[in-house]
Amino acid sequence: MSNAPAPGGKVGLRPQDRLATLVIAVLVMAVAVAAIIVAGDFPPTMLETDVGPARFPIIFAVALLVLCAILVFNTLRAPAAPPDDPAQAEPKASYGTVAIGIVATAACLYAMEFVGYAIATPIYLFGLMWLMGRRNVIANAAIAAVLTALIYAAFAVALSVPLPVGSLFE
Amino acid sequence: MYELDMLLHGAQALFNQPMALLLALFGVTLGIIIGALPGLTATMGVAILLPFTFGMDPLSGLLMISGVFFGGIYGGSVTAILLKIPGTPAAAATAIDGFELTKKGQAGIALGTATFSSFLGGTASVFVLIFLAPVLARFALEFSASESFALAVFGLSIIASISGVSVIKGLISGFLGLLLATVGLDPMGGFPRYTGGYTELFNVPFIPVMIGLFAAAEAFKSLEDPQVRAGMAAALDRIIPPWHMFRRQIGNIARSSGLGIIIGMIPGAGADIAAFVAYNEAKRFSKTPENYGKGELGAVAACESGANGCTGGALLTMLTLGIPGDAVTAVMLGALTLQGLQPGPLLFKDHADLVFTLFAGMLVCYVMMLVVGLGSLRFMGRILQMPKSVLTPCILALCIVGTYAINNSLFDIWIMLAAGVVGYFMQKWDFPASPVVLALIMGPMAEANFRRALSLSGGSYDFLYTRPITAVLLTIAILTLMLPLLRRLWAQRSSGGPTTINPAAGSSRMGTPE
Repeated sequence: MSNAPAPGGKVGLRPQDRLATLVIAVLVMAVAVAAIIVAGDFPPTMLETDVGPARFPIIFAVALLVLCAILVFNTLRAPAAPPDDPAQAEPKASYGTVAIGIVATAACLYAMEFVGYAIATPIYLFGLMWLMGRRNVIANAAIAAVLTALIYAAFAVALSVPLPVGSLFE
Repeated sequence: MYELDMLLHGAQALFNQPMALLLALFGVTLGIIIGALPGLTATMGVAILLPFTFGMDPLSGLLMISGVFFGGIYGGSVTAILLKIPGTPAAAATAIDGFELTKKGQAGIALGTATFSSFLGGTASVFVLIFLAPVLARFALEFSASESFALAVFGLSIIASISGVSVIKGLISGFLGLLLATVGLDPMGGFPRYTGGYTELFNVPFIPVMIGLFAAAEAFKSLEDPQVRAGMAAALDRIIPPWHMFRRQIGNIARSSGLGIIIGMIPGAGADIAAFVAYNEAKRFSKTPENYGKGELGAVAACESGANGCTGGALLTMLTLGIPGDAVTAVMLGALTLQGLQPGPLLFKDHADLVFTLFAGMLVCYVMMLVVGLGSLRFMGRILQMPKSVLTPCILALCIVGTYAINNSLFDIWIMLAAGVVGYFMQKWDFPASPVVLALIMGPMAEANFRRALSLSGGSYDFLYTRPITAVLLTIAILTLMLPLLRRLWAQRSSGGPTTINPAAGSSRMGTPE
């Protein structure tokens, strides 16, 4: 879904990719172990011919543990990539912007519970446009207002789907 | 003939519903724009539009979604030809010769040929869908729990072939999806599993998860690099290809469409693979194979008819068996369930009128695609200049509002956001998202049917190998699962040979061709 596959089959792993893959594998294993522990408390089935509610989650979790173990093994075994050529290095992605974007989305959701769609959305849109480098305050405000109105028209008016009003205004 | 009769009735019913036609037109137009914008895929378009269909009648909603699907697959060719940026993975093959034609000053003809080929390939595939679907559905009606279980396992086995770069990572995504699918009420006893006391989790909220994984995750990714898009460089001259030029492509288009339809029917193989296979075959059959890669019109025609030929094929298994062949049809399956329709053989029995009206509508969608495609090419430049810094916030806002609209639930939006964040990290480190969605759909089907079959057989596991269809499907599933491994072993053995475009290796799925 994302990065292009490495050309020519085997290539080395950059240290940060190795670390990230290991962290992900460990996290998934933790989820799998937790799933198995919780499944231990599921009640046994009443039917004699049934395997009960815990069997499938446990099978899936055990499979995840095995697959993650293989991934960890492969990741540790993979050779290290040669250091990046600074001339050919990809432009650095700004993870800070992504993190702020995610936090802003969470903040927008939180705010929507209280102040509703009509107030939270334009502020959110304005903030994201600013975050992505648009510095024209008036144009941003206008675009944010128009988009908010368009989405409102599409959902609330055309499709009769109510949008959150906010607990302060209910 | 039953199918033709039903289709004519369907067409009659369709033309009595102008609103549905209007929404189909809207879907096709939006699909073309979404497909043309690099970074936005047909899957994302369908995921964003999914909540909109909630307030509509089933026909309008499904036609709009189909329009986005068809338009999205075709739209990718516009930027592929003009800018060598494939708008969708399927257009990566089109970019090879399409952009070379643009460099020669034949952008207009290339775009026109792409439009006509897409139309012909897509229309042919819908006709095949119309005539094959009822047959397949009648066959599948005979399925009992054990066959349905085997079918679900077969559906799950394609995870191995849609995993992209790493099969292990694809399988981890798939099993994570399966584990996630067990959240909610146990299908036999009704015991709530992993719900943490939240009643909202009694059913897996798979539409919010889908919107998060496919739309929000992409939007978060585009926050990384908020560059303004490249503008349209080429001026378009003549768009409709002259007859003497197009006539030579008809055989090529027919072959490529056929290949696309067959590939579309294979679960796990999508439009991107179809485009590359069609490209390879067109080159093999061509009298001038040396021109391929240097701006050959036949290559554009083959890729586009192959990619669009896939659409009907992919819809065939989704509608008749309930197995989505790829990510787009998986999301479309969500649209059907949102309308209270269960894809599978019963759909053809209980809702035959609706299904055939939908088929008639799909044919109309392709005609709309042809008209809108040819009419909009000259304006496309302006749309493509829409800055990312406006598009991304807009997509995120649509994700939020759209998710809320499904159940009027803020809880669902939090699920969407969580899925978006997880999806972003998955994408970053090559864990594919499609297996998660596939597992969310097929997991409950597999578990429920397995346990039902077990009860029916009195607790004996015999049904796994004594029932022929079950045994065959399970065998195919195991083979499908093993195929990438065998292919890899084979590739390692024969490494060192000349490299050709090998779509089956999955390398064509994501990147642009070198």
